[in-house]
Amino acid sequence: MTKRLGNPVLLGLAGLAGLLLLVEALPRLGLVNDAYLPPTSRIATALFDELATAEFWRAVGDTLTGWAIGLAIAVTAGVVVGIVVGAIPVLRAATASTVEFLRPIPSVALIPLAVLLYGTDLGSVLLLVVYAAFWQVLVQVLYGVADVDPVADETARSFRFGTWARVRHVLWPTALPYVFTGVRLAASVALVLAVTAELVIGAPGLGKSIAVAQSSGAVPVMYALVAVTGLLGVAINLAARVFERRTLAWHQSVRGEIPA
Amino acid sequence: MLKVTGLRKTYRSGAREVEALRDLTFTVENGELVCLVGPSGCGKTTLLRCIAGLLDPSGGTISLDGQPVQGPPPGLAMVFQEYGRSLFPWMTVRDNVELPLKQKKLPAARRASLVSSALSAVGLEGTESAYPWQLSGGMQQRVAIARAVAYEPSTLLMDEPFAAVDAQTRADLEDLVRALWQRLNVTVLFITHDIDEAVYLGQRVIMLSSSPTVVQDEITVDLPASRDQLHTRADARFTELRTHVYEQIQAAKRGAQSTVDS
Repeated sequence: MTKRLGNPVLLGLAGLAGLLLLVEALPRLGLVNDAYLPPTSRIATALFDELATAEFWRAVGDTLTGWAIGLAIAVTAGVVVGIVVGAIPVLRAATASTVEFLRPIPSVALIPLAVLLYGTDLGSVLLLVVYAAFWQVLVQVLYGVADVDPVADETARSFRFGTWARVRHVLWPTALPYVFTGVRLAASVALVLAVTAELVIGAPGLGKSIAVAQSSGAVPVMYALVAVTGLLGVAINLAARVFERRTLAWHQSVRGEIPA
Repeated sequence: MLKVTGLRKTYRSGAREVEALRDLTFTVENGELVCLVGPSGCGKTTLLRCIAGLLDPSGGTISLDGQPVQGPPPGLAMVFQEYGRSLFPWMTVRDNVELPLKQKKLPAARRASLVSSALSAVGLEGTESAYPWQLSGGMQQRVAIARAVAYEPSTLLMDEPFAAVDAQTRADLEDLVRALWQRLNVTVLFITHDIDEAVYLGQRVIMLSSSPTVVQDEITVDLPASRDQLHTRADARFTELRTHVYEQIQAAKRGAQSTVDS
């Protein structure tokens, strides 16, 4: 099977190489105007030039700061609220419709509010990031809490575990795979919103650099910065998956099937 | 002593009321091994959950050593049928057995010695750092039994613990339960739907009727205390007793109170 399909890593790299070649060829063959889509080689040169500037790294740092702080707030709030609401059926029922109303509000619709409250400060970025990421985590934690096995819970109760011990030893490990899924989704969304906030509001970061590059006609630099945001997204997703696999080695989605 | 008096449990779903347990009265003396057997769906599990304090009865009383049962009583451990769901997959065998002892706030040295003696009592030395899902079904149920034994309960409730393991493993586990009971001087209430298992294990067998459940009949198993799978099951007295229990269960299924005496 593996032989016929070929090495998946090699295939993936081949696909990427194909894309880079296509972007190189299209403007060189005159199929697209190279003022709007410069060839890969020129974007790459711009990227290497950027890598050498302190300004670029400051922008990356700003974006990652907004992303990380916002994500941390969203995950903490999502987990705490999710466990409390999920574990108390009355609260769950009372909040379900409100959650379903608030969740689909696109974070970008809050941009005017963010500007009103924080101007172009980090606060604006955080508001948008936290709002978008919080629901991802909350909804997953709610699913996780609902997934607690009644037999596991009865076992804990029959051994006279207190409320805290049941949360710590039964509810939390059960919800953990869901928490990770929520964090992974939230991490991607948080990056999108961090860059959006910088781009639209003008808070410092990669988004703002992209806007500046575009308005000053530095098209290859603009593409280079866009590629960097993409690479950040890939890196964040990879890191989240590795961490997930390490921590959830016991979970049936991760562990290999062992014949009885 | 475990004393169940006039126990009643009805479930309400909307306007419908389902009577699971009608009127159950029986006692289990300290150090006894009693088997409860009944047709499937007769509310055996409901009864056990009431005794374990996991479920509030609708009427009647349960007392354990003179204390009324309101919530899980101290000194009681339960072994569930669904061992795969009762053991925590995120913990090793050692941590699974040790966790209830931590909740009991026992010192670390005492916990370590209880865990290792419980695991060796069920024949699972060397599996401490394995995860439950790496073990076979029979071994997983042994872990669950070790967890209950390490807890040092005075009363052990077992809810059809061997219903999901194969016949060979089941015979081994039955002998294990009898051996542990004789060694630890613990009161055991063992629920099963298997008539042979009930007669083979128990000092007494209590037969339950179909739902709504009452006590159908009760017999003392006058087989010798030392039992083994080959000879005990071939014993003429064993056959007589199992026939009696079988008839009572059949009668229970028909919903009639039989008058056959043992």
